[in-house]
Amino acid sequence: MALFAVFQTSFLLALLSLRAYQSEVLVEPLPLTPESLNVSIDSAHQYLNLQWSVHSLAYYQELKMLFQIQISRMKTSNVIWVGNYSTVVKRDPVLHWSWKSELPLECATHFVRMRSRVDDAKIPEPRFWSNWSSWKEADAQKSLGRDPLFLFPKDKLVEEGSNVTICYMSRNQQDNISCYLEGQQIHGEQLDSNVSAFKLNKVSFIRKTGTNIFCKVDQKDVIKGIVLFVSKVLEEPKDFSCETQDFKTLTCTWDPGTDTSLPKRSSQSYTLFESFSGKKILCEHKNSCNWQVDSDSQEMYNFTLVAENALGNRSVSVLFSLTHRVHPKTPYNLFLKNVSGTKATVTWKVHPIGNYSTLLCQLDLLGEGNVIQQHNVSIKENGEYLLSELEPDTEYMARVRCADANHFWKWSGSISQKFITAEAAPSEALDVWRNVKSVSGRPTVTLFWKPLSKLHANGKILSYNVTVENLDRPSGLEVHSVPATANGTELTLDQDSYQIHVTALNSAGPSPASVIVVSGDPGNEEVEEERVNGTEDGFSVSWKPQSGKAIGYVVEWCDHPQDLPCDLQWKNLSSNTTSTVISSGAFRPGVRYNFRIYEISTERMAYLLEKKAGYLKELAPSDNPQVVVSNLTSHSFTLSWKDYSTDSQLGFIQGYYVYLRSKAEKECHPGFKKATLPDKSACCQHRIDNPEQKTFVMENLQPESVYEFLVTPYTSAGSGPLDAFTKVTTPDEYSHILIRIILPMIVCVLLIMITCYLKSQWMKEKCYPDIPDPYKSNVLSLIKSKENPHLTIMNVSDCVPDAIEVIHKPEGSKIQFLGASKSLTETEFTKPAYLYLLPAEKNYSGPGPCICFENLTYNEAAADSGSCGHFPVTPEALPGQPGPLTSPENLLKALEKNYMNSLGETAAGEASLNYVSQLASQMSGDKDSLPANPPEPVLCSEYKMQMAIPLGLASPPPAENSGLSSTTPLDQSEHYR
Amino acid sequence: MRPQLVQRTLLSLVLGLLFLSTAATGKCSGKYHELLQQLQSQADLMQDTSTLLDPYIHFQGLDQAGLKEHCKESPGAFPSEDTLRGLSQRGFLRTLNATLGHVLHRLTALQQDLTIAQDQGRNIRGFRSNIHCMSQLLRGSSEVETAEPTQPGPEATLPPTPSSDTFQHKLQGCRFLRGYHRFMHSAGQVFKEWADSRSRSRSRRHRPPRALQRGARRMRPFRRDERLMPRGQLPQ
Repeated sequence: MALFAVFQTSFLLALLSLRAYQSEVLVEPLPLTPESLNVSIDSAHQYLNLQWSVHSLAYYQELKMLFQIQISRMKTSNVIWVGNYSTVVKRDPVLHWSWKSELPLECATHFVRMRSRVDDAKIPEPRFWSNWSSWKEADAQKSLGRDPLFLFPKDKLVEEGSNVTICYMSRNQQDNISCYLEGQQIHGEQLDSNVSAFKLNKVSFIRKTGTNIFCKVDQKDVIKGIVLFVSKVLEEPKDFSCETQDFKTLTCTWDPGTDTSLPKRSSQSYTLFESFSGKKILCEHKNSCNWQVDSDSQEMYNFTLVAENALGNRSVSVLFSLTHRVHPKTPYNLFLKNVSGTKATVTWKVHPIGNYSTLLCQLDLLGEGNVIQQHNVSIKENGEYLLSELEPDTEYMARVRCADANHFWKWSGSISQKFITAEAAPSEALDVWRNVKSVSGRPTVTLFWKPLSKLHANGKILSYNVTVENLDRPSGLEVHSVPATANGTELTLDQDSYQIHVTALNSAGPSPASVIVVSGDPGNEEVEEERVNGTEDGFSVSWKPQSGKAIGYVVEWCDHPQDLPCDLQWKNLSSNTTSTVISSGAFRPGVRYNFRIYEISTERMAYLLEKKAGYLKELAPSDNPQVVVSNLTSHSFTLSWKDYSTDSQLGFIQGYYVYLRSKAEKECHPGFKKATLPDKSACCQHRIDNPEQKTFVMENLQPESVYEFLVTPYTSAGSGPLDAFTKVTTPDEYSHILIRIILPMIVCVLLIMITCYLKSQWMKEKCYPDIPDPYKSNVLSLIKSKENPHLTIMNVSDCVPDAIEVIHKPEGSKIQFLGASKSLTETEFTKPAYLYLLPAEKNYSGPGPCICFENLTYNEAAADSGSCGHFPVTPEALPGQPGPLTSPENLLKALEKNYMNSLGETAAGEASLNYVSQLASQMSGDKDSLPANPPEPVLCSEYKMQMAIPLGLASPPPAENSGLSSTTPLDQSEHYR
Repeated sequence: MRPQLVQRTLLSLVLGLLFLSTAATGKCSGKYHELLQQLQSQADLMQDTSTLLDPYIHFQGLDQAGLKEHCKESPGAFPSEDTLRGLSQRGFLRTLNATLGHVLHRLTALQQDLTIAQDQGRNIRGFRSNIHCMSQLLRGSSEVETAEPTQPGPEATLPPTPSSDTFQHKLQGCRFLRGYHRFMHSAGQVFKEWADSRSRSRSRRHRPPRALQRGARRMRPFRRDERLMPRGQLPQ
């Protein structure tokens, strides 16, 4: 066992010795360890530049080698990057290599070392790495100075969206430093005690003057900052293409995209490189470049456009044949000549593009903006084309553009010219219709026609000609000229038949005539009207031919039947047509349209065939009829709405609903059924299916009950509004009987009252006779008869009274003037009030003849006594001796008698008069002053009635005189009339 | 931004009108009061930060918290108000003229960044033209010319603009413009004092200085070798 162990050890030692020997043999001839490694810093671009050399390439001119490089940061052990660099090494070479640092190199010391290995096929394997070179230090901090704070990198230019690492380095570890990006504080990673780094991801463009990043030392007025210039991303040129217009110059164009320029930094530049010729030009513009075509020898071109700025470049290529990139110039001198109503010739010119090139020109004819005709014309230089099938009096536009006929690339620009074709006579006859009506017994024909369309008018219509020819009585033609603005005219004819020709005229001539025959006889108008249903498309109208000789049909209607004029419309239909759909944009739901179908005979006369009426869509009635209540009894009343027109509603009236409701009755009458109104209230409904039935009798009602009713029509779309019920109250059962009794009674009473009124004069004469006028009395006539003109009644000068004694109420503390006798009550009067005129002679000592006047008007006691008479004052019936006078006649007789007696006595101067009357005094209104101021005799006082009473008769009773009488002396000169 | 633009345009228009009488016609006004009032008005307008500083701050992105406070005038960059007050009239005008010359030079560099600096450059030239007229007017007066050194302008005190550190360049431009506006404010104050002094003098004597009147009558082209002769009292 021990022997085996010794043997094994010896074998291994021998193997190791062999291996070491082999290595020495291989390495020794190729000692390629990198030498003279030098590291420098490029701060502007943040590069570590490495330079080294390799010696002893004695046996080889060149050798491919691989170098492995290690980079450490802060300290050698902190390797941050390892990479290989392969290159061909020549004899005594100096090699260069650069490494771009993300972290600004000023912020940290970097160390570099490398080793190498032959990587060439000329050297057989195995190949071994050389030894590492020694670490080389790259330290930019030494040259920074003594500022307390540094921030890197300065003025770095990056593309938008890239990642940037910034760092600051502080001299004093105690300082508290805060950093900001555009005012927002940022936080980084501390690399060392005085170095921190911030990684900004996907930086964005903020402004052209750069993004400001700064750091401040807290509590100190130290600020350091950098500006990060963020450029827009350089875009690849878009739509890059080249073309020629004359085979002399190639114009290349492209869309440059976003401008990446920044202040003090140039924008991107564009370079055009052609690979076949090897030529390269710097483009003057950002979006185009001109390339001179030197000769005809080069047919193919391969262009590469390179866009480049400080951060990079973008390129795009295009390969083409020159003849395939011909873009002709815009044609010129486009003219229209020989323009007629239907034809025109177009001419134009093009710029030649070569001796043998042919251009394909496209001629477009446009009308109202649309291409009507399109023609292709191959030309060399001059183009010409005859346009035909044009419409007269129409504006067109001719447009021409051209392209290379052999290899189409692009159309040239277009040139266009407008023109108007000449006018021509209207090509179609007018569409004429008529309406015949009778005005003052004479048929009046209103002609309507539809204006010719622009297509058929062929120009501006100047006027219309209407020629009227009497067919029954050949005579001269009657021609009417109607202005172009009119679309109809009215003709007054007689009962004959007339043939009417209507033509439209423009500057080129008349249109074909439209012929229509009318007759004074309107024909059969009594055609039963049928109903027609409307649909969304219109009204589908059909009819049955009658004569079989019709040359056509006309359907007539009004677009606005409720207006005046109703906008008459018509539609012509051929003779083999028996139905059509009438549609119009004017049709509205809820409007009744009436259609009349006419048959046009071979004589061109129209006969009414059928009448149709319909609604495009029926609607529910909007109004209810005005209902009149009549025949109101205690058990029934009648409803009628005869004024309601069923023709002018929103739909065909199919009938009516009669609604009745009453609080008194819960059950519906026979013929009614329960219904619920929109307000959820219950009522009774009766349906009338006949739209012409416009009366209804409500029966079986309760007396003295309130009923509410409503009549509403209904159509296929529904019924009218259920809102306004009308109240009716039934009378009680006996009221009519009472009326039969009371009414005659009232009539009788009225008759009596009227009779009484009419006979009131008679009644008054009987009950309240007027006070007789003394001047009209018989007494006066008696005096006259005695032919004594000086004698008159109440001539005071004749009487010579001395005093007036007023006899009044015998009792009462206050003295009443006679004129205020109304204040006296009935009981206060016991005797008539009399005014006595007493003689004033001193020698008068006893009763004598006197005249007594009685005022019957104020003798209320007498009037109220109900007796028409009073106690006459007669010699036999003096106060204290009362006796009735049976009548005024008796009284007059008595007076006449006494008067005659007194005349005789007066003349002897022996008689005296006692006047009893009322003073129509001016003081009559001053009642209260009377007691204090006894009435003075007033001149010109009047007496309504005078009665001459013998003095003895007029003497008042002594007892009464003491209370009511007052005696006023009268002067001799005072007279009473 | 639009109202600011309109404001600036109007301001330029006003300044342009103010300069019209001198710059456009090329002739100096012989009226001291009128010229002084014009200089004062121009100084008032030029001290307005909205004409130059505010647009610059916005354009450079310096209108951020933490940065604004560092945009303050560098000490010694422009003569202080006290220094200006201490100068004689002609010394003041010389200093003003020299300082504005440096400002013009600096504005030329700023024009690349700020187009509005071009308008301000025109305004400063017009202002200097009026300074020239005032100097001419004073020269015609009797003020004794003393050997007074011109105060150092910004060029002498400001460090050269670094080319590699754009951030510092921005800040220095901001500070420079801040100092410029302050300087114009101080100049306006001095002109105001001139005007006040003249009013007091008028109220005492009820007539303008004879020398000034004579000077006004004798307006003639400016000549550098012309020396002031003691002819009377100038308004202080």
